[in-house]
Amino acid sequence: MTLSRRQLLAGAAATAAAATVGVAVRQHALEAEPAPPPLQDAQNRLLWRNWSGIQTAYPALRAGPSSEEEVLAALREGPAPVRAVGAGHSFTALVPTEGTLLTLDGLAGIVDHDAGSHQATVWAGTRLGELGPALAAIGQCMPNLPDINKQSLGGAIATATHGSGDHSPALHAQVLAMRIATPARGLIECSANDNPEIFAAARVGLGAFGVVTRYRLQNVASIRLQKRTALRPTAEVIEDWPALRVAHRNAEFFVLPFTGMSATVLHDVTDRPAEPPGKPQDADVLLALKWLRDWAGFAPPLRRRLAQAAMASVKPEESVEEAWKLLSNERDIRFNEMEYHLPRETQMAALAEVLAAIERHRPDVFFPIEVRSIAPDDAWLSPFHDRASGSLAVHAYYKDDYRFLFDLVEPILRRHGGRPHWGKLHSLTARELAPLYPRWREAMAVRRELDPQGRMLNPFLRRLFGDV
Amino acid sequence: MHVQHPSGPTPAVRVPIAGLLLAAILIGALAACGGAPSSDRAALLARAAALSPADARLADLYQHACKACHVVATSGAPLTGDRDAWQARLKKGLPALVGNAIGGLNGMPAGGQCVRCTAADYAALIRFMAGEAP
Repeated sequence: MTLSRRQLLAGAAATAAAATVGVAVRQHALEAEPAPPPLQDAQNRLLWRNWSGIQTAYPALRAGPSSEEEVLAALREGPAPVRAVGAGHSFTALVPTEGTLLTLDGLAGIVDHDAGSHQATVWAGTRLGELGPALAAIGQCMPNLPDINKQSLGGAIATATHGSGDHSPALHAQVLAMRIATPARGLIECSANDNPEIFAAARVGLGAFGVVTRYRLQNVASIRLQKRTALRPTAEVIEDWPALRVAHRNAEFFVLPFTGMSATVLHDVTDRPAEPPGKPQDADVLLALKWLRDWAGFAPPLRRRLAQAAMASVKPEESVEEAWKLLSNERDIRFNEMEYHLPRETQMAALAEVLAAIERHRPDVFFPIEVRSIAPDDAWLSPFHDRASGSLAVHAYYKDDYRFLFDLVEPILRRHGGRPHWGKLHSLTARELAPLYPRWREAMAVRRELDPQGRMLNPFLRRLFGDV
Repeated sequence: MHVQHPSGPTPAVRVPIAGLLLAAILIGALAACGGAPSSDRAALLARAAALSPADARLADLYQHACKACHVVATSGAPLTGDRDAWQARLKKGLPALVGNAIGGLNGMPAGGQCVRCTAADYAALIRFMAGEAP
């Protein structure tokens, strides 16, 4: 059988049209908003969901105490499990409860401060985004901040939330003392000298030892930072990473899968006058990467070439601002995330494996992989306990399938000696966690002493702590 | 350490004309940055930052939840008091907006980070932010 030129052209046009329709149909499906669960349950209890939307609950009681006595009352009298919630930014099921959901929004702000030592006592319900300007007004700032500043101080510290910097530990390392409300022993003051075992065990406590109501923080005098961002070939950045993280106060980079490129973000102290950043590019870049995934995901070489052609015109950027304004970012595109903290010496090998695995098996991924560095500390349940760490955070758009994080990414991160971020997706239980934490057994003993009836434990935490 | 990812463009890959077009669009998307807010935008921001519900309980809820995004220029959320931005949303009907607030939609996290809010609180806060209630 022979085909005429006209038939061939018509066939090619039909094939192209079908392919375009196919991509459009697929994209339409990808764009659909995931249907929310019922807004109320059969008992008319209102839905609670975490920030990304994958954790849900219908709490019997929502408690909003405005005093420490009211916190204690909720711990002792509210239906169990009693779970504290901040901004709901944890991706794991730390918060869901059918009992009491407790917010510390009523315990927010600065309690007192000391100008000479740059110390401040802060209510645990204070959102990081509110704490920045409040501390600036008294000439202080937190030494470092996480990528997002919507979280409550209590939630961020309880999950070992961190920023990046070879010499910058996670937020909980700046806690000098804290007061914790516990089901069995009431309000307890603790520090390195006062109830030191409780201080060591409950500082990174996942809200499972009680509810911390206030922290004494060792801040620093207000500082101004220079922020420099640049797009560079990933291979170059990986090669430079050991030098970058030593040379800069805060260094991190974002690997952009399927592009061969990475974005470096470097912060250093400066006395230059403020040069505020322009409109943030992050959301635009993310949408562009998503668009590339949607329309060129079927052809990785094309996707890569297009991305590199587009990025060639993006110039490095510099800005100068107060630290609290520069270190955190607005993230208006939701996602799910897995982050593991690895020994620094295995971080880049793990990154190469993760990137290769994603680019080989998951063309649907477009979110960057975040690479950071964290100094060690001594909290018993800190993922950075006695270990200088390098973290890898892998993300999935909130509308996309995130199971690859468990199937594809987590085995690599575990093989390289990683400890999971407490607030981010992981599959570990007490059996796997205990060997990773040298003081695990002591920490669990302290927890049982403060909450012998397990009122703070939801099913997820019972599996996590082996308390079933 | 050996890195498996070449750093530069792959010469063997030919970019078709359609690809160049896509690249041009992408360049536009990536370049869509910078610039100070317009004076109108700055005025809207200043107004959003200054507004607070008249009711004390609502003001407390607003302060600890909605305000984290609805007065921030770069959050993507409609600004408090920006009637034009809210009108488009109000066309869906208040019950639909309350449902979106509780269940979450696009960049809006479920519950709007307000753990203490009831459905009636969400309705009142939406009406306040839309400029329809004090």
